[in-house]
Amino acid sequence: MLFPAFLLVLTTIYLAEALSIRSQFGGDTIVGPRFMPILMAIIMYVALIVVMVGEWRKESEVTATGSFLRPMMVVLATAIYIAVFRPLGYVPATLCFAAALFLIFDFERKRPVFFVMYVIAVTALFYGLFAGIFGVRLPPMLGGF
Amino acid sequence: MDTFVSFLGGFEALLSWEVLGFMIAGFLIGTFFGAMPGLTSVLAIALLLPITYTIDVVPALVMCASIFMAGMYSGSITATTINIPGAPSSMMTAVEGNALMLKGHGANALGHAALGSMIGGSIGALLLMAFMPIAGELALLIRTPGKFSLVLFALVVIIIVDKGAIAKGIVATTLGIMLATVGIDVLQPIPRFEFGTELLVEGIGLMPVVIGAFAVSELLVQAQNWNLSLEGTLKRAKDLKIRRRDFIPPWSEIREIGFFAYVKSAFIGYSIGILPGAGGSMAAFVAYADAKRSSKKPEEYGHGSREGIAAAESANNSMCGGAFVPMLMFGIPGDPTTAIVLGVLVINGLQPGPRLLEQQADLIAPMFASLFVSALILIPLTLYLLGPYFIKIVSIPRGLLYSSIAVVALVGSYVATYSTFQMFLALIFGVLAFFLRKHNYSVVAMLLGFILGPDLEQYLRRSLSFNDGNPIVFLTSLDSLAFIALTVVFAYLILRKKPKLDAIP
Repeated sequence: MLFPAFLLVLTTIYLAEALSIRSQFGGDTIVGPRFMPILMAIIMYVALIVVMVGEWRKESEVTATGSFLRPMMVVLATAIYIAVFRPLGYVPATLCFAAALFLIFDFERKRPVFFVMYVIAVTALFYGLFAGIFGVRLPPMLGGF
Repeated sequence: MDTFVSFLGGFEALLSWEVLGFMIAGFLIGTFFGAMPGLTSVLAIALLLPITYTIDVVPALVMCASIFMAGMYSGSITATTINIPGAPSSMMTAVEGNALMLKGHGANALGHAALGSMIGGSIGALLLMAFMPIAGELALLIRTPGKFSLVLFALVVIIIVDKGAIAKGIVATTLGIMLATVGIDVLQPIPRFEFGTELLVEGIGLMPVVIGAFAVSELLVQAQNWNLSLEGTLKRAKDLKIRRRDFIPPWSEIREIGFFAYVKSAFIGYSIGILPGAGGSMAAFVAYADAKRSSKKPEEYGHGSREGIAAAESANNSMCGGAFVPMLMFGIPGDPTTAIVLGVLVINGLQPGPRLLEQQADLIAPMFASLFVSALILIPLTLYLLGPYFIKIVSIPRGLLYSSIAVVALVGSYVATYSTFQMFLALIFGVLAFFLRKHNYSVVAMLLGFILGPDLEQYLRRSLSFNDGNPIVFLTSLDSLAFIALTVVFAYLILRKKPKLDAIP
């Protein structure tokens, strides 16, 4: 019930923004730039109401049953990785990100030497793939130092 | 005749070391991703998408085609050996293949799956080459109202094959269309939904949506369902001893199945592939059900039927060929993999449409050739050479695997525009897709809505503006009326007797 409600809020924000769109020429005719967004918002409202009524009548099926803690940790680690990707550079940022993911996914926690080796290997492997083979310019360490 | 010569040129292009290398690499990547439970060829191509910025279009498309074919086949490996389908399209193979495995005929089941995939995939590729020129001629006859009705038909089919939850299918598809409206309007040079930031003026790119929807969301799903007991199942697979000669199915068994059965299943798979959103799972299921209906030994089904494996695998690999037809002719992807291949085309400045084959045959033909060669040569060759090691793929530590996927996905989304904003978008769409999946909304429907949304809007508004906003034009235009009638027929057929499939991820 929470997720459809969230989509309902999102649709409302979308519709409010759609109503503020102004056509560049010919006035706001039926086929102007806000026609499709308004139509989609209306379809979305109707479909969401049908979904919510259906879920209210019978308990909604949820596929995943595990805890949210691990996915939240993945999202947090990823958000931090993205934030530091340019300022820190590819190598330090990816070393930290890979280490964080290994910890979240319980990989080689009991063998610190292997843990470090795998962290370095993953970072080096994808540096080689993107920068070496495909010639992509990855952010240098600490902005170039 | 010219088209036929172009197709032959496609095979010639595969003789170049670079293109051949990309095809083999793609096939091995597709096999790896298809054989790993939880990973799919869609994810493989999604991760490959950023790389297509840095390589030529021919090797990129050739690689996509070989990943597609390999991924569709290799799902049968774990389906047979450990009863975990590597891809949703291998569900029926798991039923029969694993039953044979438990009887001690695992290698034989894998051999039949490979043979079915080889025959089905080859026929699907040949049908694609044979009917593309005809499809191109037909596509030229369709005008703007007809194009709108065709896109609408595609979206309606996508929605009604979506797990039986039509309202949720509409929500997911509409959400995709709404996301596609962000950025410059399709007909007027004005920005929409930029929320005061320049970052959204150009709209949302396909790359963060694809990487978020398939790679990041998969990472989050795996994180939530982190189940170390699965590791035990996968490690047990390492103890299996398989000899190469066991992979070759005896002639007597092939003759018993009958060549016609392979061909029929391949035609079923190809036809279903043409339908947008139907995909390999439906192709396999329908062919399997048909084979069971017409079988001389229906009692074997569910207990290790080689005929069932042959039908399902022929159909899902033949579907690969069919799925390219609507994508190349109309820009309407037949399944999620071709949706991403469409992205590769667009990134490289190729516009799908009836003229594509005439003007860019030299770029498209190698992709067709790759589909055919992957099916006919690479499937049996890799099974024979690497078959005994296939099962060891699943013993790769999953923590290492998913961490690696996370790095590839995020760095890949940075590569396209050298912008960390794209990485953030990939994360946001990943979280959104995670919740969609968790609540049984189809992520594929959202992606196809996002891809088809701009066309739907453009054709709708153009058709209406030419007719003073009067929607009657969709009923007075013959091509449009035909597609509307087709939509009604398909909706009736699918809703009247819909197979219960958990087909769409």
